[in-house]
Amino acid sequence: MKLNELIQPQEPRDLYLPTMATLRDIKPLNALETLYTVELPGGADLGHQPGQFVEVSLFGVGEAPFSISSSPTRKGTFELGIRKVGLLTEKLAALKPGDKLGIRGPFGHGIDVERFKGKDVLVVAGGIGLVPMRSLINFVLDRRDDFGRLIICYGSRSDEELLFTEEREAWKKDPGVDFHVTVDRGSPAWAGRTGVITTLIPGLELELGKTVCCVCGPPVMYRFVLLALKSRGLSDESIYMSLERRMKCGVGKCGHCQINHSYVCQDGPVYHYPDLKSLEEAL
Amino acid sequence: MDLKFLASDRVEALVSHLMHQKAVYAPQRMGRHSVALDKVTNPAAVVLDYSRTMQSVKKYFQPPRDELLKFDLTDQSFAAATVEPLDAVLLGIHSYDRAAIDRLDYNFSQGQPEKNYLKRREGVIWVGVSYEPDEFHFSGSVGIGPLETEGFDVFLSRVGGGYQVETVTEKGGEILAGFDLPQAEQGKPSPGHFHQHIFLPQARLNEVMAASYSSPVWEETAQKCVGCGSCNIVCPTCYCFNVEENVDIKVTGGTRERIWDGCMLREFTEVAGGEVFRGGLAERQRHRVLRKFKYLSDRTGHPWCVGCGRCTAYCTAGISIVSIVNRCVSDFEKHPTTAV
Repeated sequence: MKLNELIQPQEPRDLYLPTMATLRDIKPLNALETLYTVELPGGADLGHQPGQFVEVSLFGVGEAPFSISSSPTRKGTFELGIRKVGLLTEKLAALKPGDKLGIRGPFGHGIDVERFKGKDVLVVAGGIGLVPMRSLINFVLDRRDDFGRLIICYGSRSDEELLFTEEREAWKKDPGVDFHVTVDRGSPAWAGRTGVITTLIPGLELELGKTVCCVCGPPVMYRFVLLALKSRGLSDESIYMSLERRMKCGVGKCGHCQINHSYVCQDGPVYHYPDLKSLEEAL
Repeated sequence: MDLKFLASDRVEALVSHLMHQKAVYAPQRMGRHSVALDKVTNPAAVVLDYSRTMQSVKKYFQPPRDELLKFDLTDQSFAAATVEPLDAVLLGIHSYDRAAIDRLDYNFSQGQPEKNYLKRREGVIWVGVSYEPDEFHFSGSVGIGPLETEGFDVFLSRVGGGYQVETVTEKGGEILAGFDLPQAEQGKPSPGHFHQHIFLPQARLNEVMAASYSSPVWEETAQKCVGCGSCNIVCPTCYCFNVEENVDIKVTGGTRERIWDGCMLREFTEVAGGEVFRGGLAERQRHRVLRKFKYLSDRTGHPWCVGCGRCTAYCTAGISIVSIVNRCVSDFEKHPTTAV
């Protein structure tokens, strides 16, 4: 077939113009990470799925992708958990409530929560991988009857870098949540578990065939977590992974986020693991 | 087919005829050795007999710097950039560069159609010209001959003393109306002789490239490659871009622009915190070549390389994409069982 016959005629659109949103609240999560509460004009619903991302921009500074940390069940505003690590994030950290920021999105393929219904949901989050996974966690907690058990494995480099202190306390106390946390290196004050995230997986109570798992963390983590999950007998079909790449445009045009033939901003960031097996560069 | 004859000494008159109707962009001599596409102001400056321009017509639809919006820092407001149709005659275009635009059209139309590119694409009259393949062209191997008229409104084929003029579309007929040309002699000009070939039928390329994934050719190519990204910048089907902010000198406003980017550059896959997902030159070479011969071809059935030879002709390290692909082909023929 000729190339022009493969094109579905559609009205071209302005893909790169942001919506000017208002920063409503800024809450430090630890020394590096901050939780931003953002409101679209008129309190409009962002309409996202857990696992999706938005492009955040400040004029004169730049634009970058950030995953959405709040659950779509909580309307009116949405939250972004952002680490101070570059020019844009430094400037974001200097904003005050009421300041404006540009938002495009939501973009990408998030977690298809319909497919998780009735299942036990296992979340494996390393470091700031907890930021997008918190959207799924709170979604499950807000729609408790739709899902089975909620099992959370959370690993961090140190206890100083742990995120969402109050929420973690609530998860720990919630009888419906099986919450496990470990740090690579604990400070003298740390009374919890020490060790990498994979050490949490052998001890989990899992009902195979009923469990779906979603993994998000630093690039080095995926292969090891995958081995640990598979050695517990979880099937490839039950595993989902959220991958980080440079999603510059968010609309499948700029090329930066490609993993082999796949655009992470279109097919991901959340992939069903069987689909990742043909992408040699993915893990 | 109705073929007319344009004598070489009437090219200037044809350019003037076209200029009376629309702006005309055509190849013109730049310095002593180069030919580049530019807006025509002097009909006598147009050069129709040339091997290649360093930049293709892509630059008119996706400019190297392309304003997306203007912002005002005093009140955080912005306005979308004004994008106008090119609305011009593109004269003297080679068939591979026209084929490259079909590929860009696909990229900017599929999924979410992009206004910036598609708006500029409007109102173009394509006047193609044949060429004699030089030591770098290999379009014949990807199914695009020098006499291919696909996508053109008018096509000029080089013959002794001038050009055979073929009116391909109605639009082409309209732009030529009023410019009298005599009937051409019967018979087509010779389709040209290629000096470079990819030695495999197109249909099997995807299979070969899939098998090439762990080939030593990528590491060997990386030994020579300096990672400058010239191959990306001259490629007529490369469309990747980055986005930059440009603040004016008074710091009261500025523009957000997209600029050409290239997957051969190390920073291309870098994310905040310093992780680089294709840190090695071998991985980047593989990505570049597979994008042309596998990733987008798997989806569409068309190779994304049009055989213009630019990446090889302008490579600062003497790397040839034809040699890379042929190496993959010969490895495949020797060890077809390693295919994934």
